[in-house]
Amino acid sequence: MPVDPVLLLDALAQALTLFLVASGLAVTFGLVGVINLAHGELLLAGAYTALAVERAGLGYWAGLALAPLVVGLLGFLLDLLVIRRLRERPLDTLLATWAAALVVRQTVVALFGPASHTIQPPIPGSVVLLGAPYPVHRLLVMGLALLVAALLAWLLFATRLGLMIRGAIADRTLAAVSGLAVRRLEALAFAFGAGLAGLAGAATAPLLSVDPQMGLGFLLPAFLAVLVAPGGGPAGTAIGAALVGGGESLVAAFASPVLAQLAVLAGAVVLLRRVAGRRAGRER
Amino acid sequence: MSREPLLPALLFWAALALLPLAAPSWLTGQLAQHLCYGLLAMSLAYLWGQGGLLSFCQALFFGVGAYAYALVGLGKLPLLPASPLLGLGLALLLPTLLALALGLLLVTARVPTGPAWAVLTLVLGVIGERLAVASPFLGGSNGLAGLPPLALPLPGGAFELLDPVPTFLVLLGVTAAVQLGLALKIASPAGSLLRAVREDALRAAHLGIDPVAVRLRAFALAAALAGLGGGLFAAQFGFVAPPLLGLGLSTEALVWVAVGGRGSPLAALAGALLVKTVEGLLGEWLGAGWPLALGLLLLLVVLLFPQGVFGGLLARLARPVRP
Repeated sequence: MPVDPVLLLDALAQALTLFLVASGLAVTFGLVGVINLAHGELLLAGAYTALAVERAGLGYWAGLALAPLVVGLLGFLLDLLVIRRLRERPLDTLLATWAAALVVRQTVVALFGPASHTIQPPIPGSVVLLGAPYPVHRLLVMGLALLVAALLAWLLFATRLGLMIRGAIADRTLAAVSGLAVRRLEALAFAFGAGLAGLAGAATAPLLSVDPQMGLGFLLPAFLAVLVAPGGGPAGTAIGAALVGGGESLVAAFASPVLAQLAVLAGAVVLLRRVAGRRAGRER
Repeated sequence: MSREPLLPALLFWAALALLPLAAPSWLTGQLAQHLCYGLLAMSLAYLWGQGGLLSFCQALFFGVGAYAYALVGLGKLPLLPASPLLGLGLALLLPTLLALALGLLLVTARVPTGPAWAVLTLVLGVIGERLAVASPFLGGSNGLAGLPPLALPLPGGAFELLDPVPTFLVLLGVTAAVQLGLALKIASPAGSLLRAVREDALRAAHLGIDPVAVRLRAFALAAALAGLGGGLFAAQFGFVAPPLLGLGLSTEALVWVAVGGRGSPLAALAGALLVKTVEGLLGEWLGAGWPLALGLLLLLVVLLFPQGVFGGLLARLARPVRP
């Protein structure tokens, strides 16, 4: 059976979009060690920032630029007010970030209403690619994801800050006694990861319907991508995103969307079980 | 907390039993429904507070219990007659079997019971809700309606539970029995084993305790109790739909237990009754603001009262006079 090239392009787009969302999560999970259940709502906040900026008449690009800043600030506050206070209670962190997610989502409902909104892509229309028309904005998001991947790799492996961050990931205590301001690094990483989520939200907003539930839809795939990712770096996240996002869109094309979601979730449960077991074995 | 103080529990149940004398009948009916949520809260408190297993899918078992009651009550299952009591039995059995099956997947020694476990339960809850929505047999997103009420086989003929006061009293009896049973279980050697595994599974294993079996038993017991709550809820409500097993209700249950106190099923039950009653009073007035208030409440309780409101009180009562 010949495989439609557009299908592969769709799978690639899905994987890259998921990478954009998951990379922020990977930063906070890798460095701060916190499973942030509010990550989907940070994405939501990014999308609604873009919406609010567009409604204010400033256009889409201003929203895309502003979203990471606004959401980065939100993440900074989340770290300062909630996560910092629960360092010794990891299960409570989970619960508290879930509560924070609820608060952000319901604030959005209170401000913008429960209905869904649409944002027009800044460059409408499509170009012919591999013999079929393909939406320009989707290509734009794919390019942005690649840019973020390059930026993350550069930041982590080619700068002094990246060296410090990798040191803190490898051994928090040793990094602290070596004179690194680990807490400040963590606060920075958390705000940065949140900013990436905000960027992802604003970037993907024109591709989706912007509604209060969109964060939840992204949270689980992004988590699965991060948790099944081999290693913590951008490369691992990319592999995880390719497995989860690409797999889902391929199964959706050949079978049905509902079945695809179920298959990916079930597959991830099995995979995750093995990964979690391996991690536990390493810690012992 | 290892030992539930008995006196507060008895006082609590006595006061609740006298309530229909003073309260209007609509309030009694509402409280009867809230007692079903109380069963869900107690099951979660047992699993989370005693077993250290934070579950984001406890409503899955509540919902499966409700659907089991609905399917048998409507006579939609082959070989089973349309019987409410049989439905209630299946509402206990089916969630237990499901928990055992899922437990073998989740509660194995190789999966750490920390955050990864909690995320897996979150995924399971989402899978369950999507399956229910996608299944025409379960009525899809419309659910199943027109369920028969629970009928008690009394000597003078079956007695249907339709009026608020008898329904409330039956529910009160069931819930009180479950609460006292859980208190005994927590104080028993089995309760000590569960807490030992919660504190340090590896050490418990070295002492000859099988952590997998202990966790699996706790998971199954909690599922059975949640399923019982779901079955009783369906019997009263006469209607089941996918939100009964979804993330929303699972989250609400976490709020009740966190507010009441995860350490004690009684405190969790009181938390459920408190939050649901406040929701009944303020929900309409706050409208869309209620979920926001619920989120803020959960955030504040986790940050400021990790033992919960009633849990702190009970712990104070349970503290021995001489340390």
